[in-house]
Amino acid sequence: MSFIPGQPVTAVVQRIEIRKLQHGEHLILGFSIGGGIDQDPGQNPFSEDKSDKGIYVTRVTPGGPAEVAGLMMGDKVMQVNGWDMTMVTHDQARKRLTKKDEDIVRLLVTRKSLEQAVRHSMM
Amino acid sequence: MPAEVKQEQSPSNQTSLAMMQEPQEMVEETVTIEEDPGTPTSHVSVVTSDDGTTRRTETKVTKMVKTVTTRTVRQVPLGPDGLPLPEGSSPLGSYTDSIDRRYLKSGERYITTPQATSTLTRSYNNYNDSYTDTLPTDAGGSQYGGRHYGLHDGYGIGDVTDNYGSLSRGVNFRPPRYPYAMANSYRTENSYGTLPIRKDDYGHVAQPQVPMGSSSVDLNRSQPERFQPEPYGLEDDHRSLGPEEEEPYDLDPDYSTASRRQGTLPGTNRGRTVREPLRDGPRVRGYEDPIEAELVDERHPYSHGMYAAPLAQPERGSMASLDRLAGRRSPSIDSIRKDPRWRDPDLQEVIAMLGHPIDPVKSNAAAYLQHLCYENDKIKKDVRQLKGIPVLAGLLDHPKAEVHRKACGALRNISYGKDHDNKVAIKNCDGIPALIRLLRKTNDMEVRELITGTLWNLSSYEPLKMVIINHGLQTMTNEVIIPHSGWEYEPNEDSKPRDAEWTTVFKNTSGCLRNVSSDGAEARRRLRECDGLVDALLHALQSAVGKKDMDNKSVENCVCIMRNLSYHVHKEIPGAEKFTDPSAMQAPGSVGPQRKKKDDAGCFGGKKAKEEWFNQGRKNVENDKSYDTLDLPKRTEPTKGFELLYQPEVVRLYLSLLTESQNYNTLEAAAGALQNLSAGQWTWSNYIRATVRKEKGLPILVELLRSDADKVVRAVAIALRNLSIDRRNKDLIGSYAMRDLVSNLPSGQQRPAKNLEEDTVVAILNTIHEIVTDSSENARSLIQAQAIEKLVAINKTSQSPRENKAASHVLQTVWSYKDLRNALTKEGWNKSHFQPTVSGALKAAKNGKPGYDDTTLPLMEKNQGTKKNGSGDMIPMDELGPDGYSTIDQRDKDCKYKSSGDGSVDLTEREPLKNDTNTKHYVRSNRPAVNLVDACDVKPQPVDSWV
Repeated sequence: MSFIPGQPVTAVVQRIEIRKLQHGEHLILGFSIGGGIDQDPGQNPFSEDKSDKGIYVTRVTPGGPAEVAGLMMGDKVMQVNGWDMTMVTHDQARKRLTKKDEDIVRLLVTRKSLEQAVRHSMM
Repeated sequence: MPAEVKQEQSPSNQTSLAMMQEPQEMVEETVTIEEDPGTPTSHVSVVTSDDGTTRRTETKVTKMVKTVTTRTVRQVPLGPDGLPLPEGSSPLGSYTDSIDRRYLKSGERYITTPQATSTLTRSYNNYNDSYTDTLPTDAGGSQYGGRHYGLHDGYGIGDVTDNYGSLSRGVNFRPPRYPYAMANSYRTENSYGTLPIRKDDYGHVAQPQVPMGSSSVDLNRSQPERFQPEPYGLEDDHRSLGPEEEEPYDLDPDYSTASRRQGTLPGTNRGRTVREPLRDGPRVRGYEDPIEAELVDERHPYSHGMYAAPLAQPERGSMASLDRLAGRRSPSIDSIRKDPRWRDPDLQEVIAMLGHPIDPVKSNAAAYLQHLCYENDKIKKDVRQLKGIPVLAGLLDHPKAEVHRKACGALRNISYGKDHDNKVAIKNCDGIPALIRLLRKTNDMEVRELITGTLWNLSSYEPLKMVIINHGLQTMTNEVIIPHSGWEYEPNEDSKPRDAEWTTVFKNTSGCLRNVSSDGAEARRRLRECDGLVDALLHALQSAVGKKDMDNKSVENCVCIMRNLSYHVHKEIPGAEKFTDPSAMQAPGSVGPQRKKKDDAGCFGGKKAKEEWFNQGRKNVENDKSYDTLDLPKRTEPTKGFELLYQPEVVRLYLSLLTESQNYNTLEAAAGALQNLSAGQWTWSNYIRATVRKEKGLPILVELLRSDADKVVRAVAIALRNLSIDRRNKDLIGSYAMRDLVSNLPSGQQRPAKNLEEDTVVAILNTIHEIVTDSSENARSLIQAQAIEKLVAINKTSQSPRENKAASHVLQTVWSYKDLRNALTKEGWNKSHFQPTVSGALKAAKNGKPGYDDTTLPLMEKNQGTKKNGSGDMIPMDELGPDGYSTIDQRDKDCKYKSSGDGSVDLTEREPLKNDTNTKHYVRSNRPAVNLVDACDVKPQPVDSWV
């Protein structure tokens, strides 16, 4: 998905609500992210547009909260709890996802095959 | 004291139990914020500490269950045994009946143990029956449930909460008895009638005594909701089994005072007469075997039905007393109460009970005091005036855990708040050494939390700080800080280094140390030299960074301690003079005073210096690096103790905190630590300044200038000022930080969006002044940043003499660069704009130039010097630190300004910070902030992060 800076982005998105899991002392979501405006977008294996500096889901823990909620590897995270994730640094995204005072994270994600996503989310 | 204010606030904040627990008494001395650990007492809260909300919910659930039970009991139809029901039709009436009836039973059966057992059983059965049937049917039942909810809701309110907390505590207190509650229809009913709660429960105990059904009803009603500590109610439930058997027991025996009083009351007599017969047997037993009684308590009631009754008595008595006390708590309650026969023990009586020979009475009395004192300054004062504090302190050495725990809880609440007299009273009866003794002795986590919480509270009062240091520093370090930090004296090579545990005990203790670390040079010396303290704190912070868990209170406390201990480190550590290296003045990193003066006098010189820098800085990076590296002293053995405070390695730690933490206080303290370490003209501060640059710390600091938190901006601005003592830092900061500095300045009378405080604006102006001094290049950057307009506006129109003085200094410096005047004139400025505003406050500033000799001196010292001289000529920096503690004091000031809201600051500030972080990152990506870094490569950030 490409976009023109300064222009609104149109994307088909899916809402995913992940309830964090208490893991030791930490609350975990069970996935990992890559990307960010401070990262080299050329190395992102999931993006179509290799200049896309968005945040992507790179790995999902099997059986983890994220997988349970329907998040999939390769998803592009558009928003986290209403916060834009398309123009943030990697670390900023990480922080936004790991707020200790939030038990639930609501994501807006987009992925290549929406149909697949819909099917998946209904399972 | 600011701290006190905060304490006060905490109550308001603490709608929830959780809040209560972390009451913050923030005393801010020095950098430190002192918070009271949890004044709020409730047991529950303690448990909850971190996620109070959740726990609280759980508690409620429990109560609900119990309530239901109670209700059921109530429904159990009790035949009016000979006693007329005052309100026969009402549910309450039934209640009364049951009570009376049982009472009679107990009286009759009292002697026979078997009977007691049977009674128990019976009620139990009743319970079951009624439970099923009644609930649905009973309108009353439904109401009941509703009421309980209401109560719970009520808990949200401060007072209620307290009660709640105490309730929970009661529950924890005697788990084994719990089953009784179910069994006891009696209790249940009471609570039922009482709706409001615990009062009823309390009443239960007492009630058996009450002859009149009506009276009991009234009592229940009279109970104000707020009073009720359900917790107590719960306890009652536990004991309810006993009631029948115990009834004879009566309060009177245990509480001689209470009994006495009752006698005087008109109504009491009646109750007594009834009781008397019952009493005899049980009472005696209770006295004789208090210990045995307690033991029994531990057992499961059912299994020991026989024993239960007699044994329970002593405790029960205590409970009863509590119940009565409960009523006392608020006058309104008393007024509501209509039945003169019932009355709660007054404060004096409760305090007298602290000396009661039976331990459970003591502990209950102490628990009740804790409850009464919660957020009630009046009661705290009364307890003090009634000489209750020495008694409580004496109980700290009591061998029974239950007793010293409750006493400690009461002391914690009493020690919390504005009233320093309470704190002094604890100190005067040697409460501090007693607390420390207990800390050494006990392994009970809860007791340790209470002890350290009390110490935290006490540490907010200046005169007590040294006392705490003298008695408790090493103990707190050895018992709490070191073990919880994960640091080990001699790390075992086999074992992995341990992480810090952010326990409540650690939080409380670090809060206490944070407070005492602000007590001046001697306190700092003691803490620095305390064996293992600095090592453990650093280890804890490193662990926090490693785990990316940097927003919590413990981390904040640790950083604040580090900041305080770093203050004046270049003067105060033993042998510091050895490191005051005169040659350092000539090193590339800094500019010697004489040279500087020369530059200043002739602008040509300044320019020349600048060009020199260009040549060096840009072309000889390699040389510089090697210089820095070479100069770092080689270590023959691992650094330990206070030397760790100023090793260049700490720079990375503070920078990590500055990058990652979202806690404003932590950010401020970390910036303050860098500020302290980079002040002064000794070898180590040179290293620190260079290390900050090499660790790419300048862009981190500059970005924080955009923080929404006033105090963060201020601390960062001052740190940048100190860092710019290093010539290369100065140039980098001048080139890349100027816009951010200027954007924080108000435009004339109009404040910028951030609306920074005067202190902050002055700090920024002083930093700008430092940066443009000796650097016409930086002055040019300042002009390009559109600062002149703002500076002129501040100079002319600011309401603050300090602000316009500081602005005036900057303007004069800028004007002194003759090569810039052309540019300035073109923009429409003339000399008059750069003149100090003529006002009384500023007259001294006119001849400010000559005073510049010491510009190169460490800023801190300048501060002090200025203060001493009182000369207005000096760099306005003096404004910042009234007494040379610039770093530390700022904190203090800050607190004072915000005294009204500080309690909540910690919690609320995080939100705005989020936005801040966003901004930060944009800045990073859009601007050449990277250039602030010496070596231009920014490390690639992690490509992949688990969340």
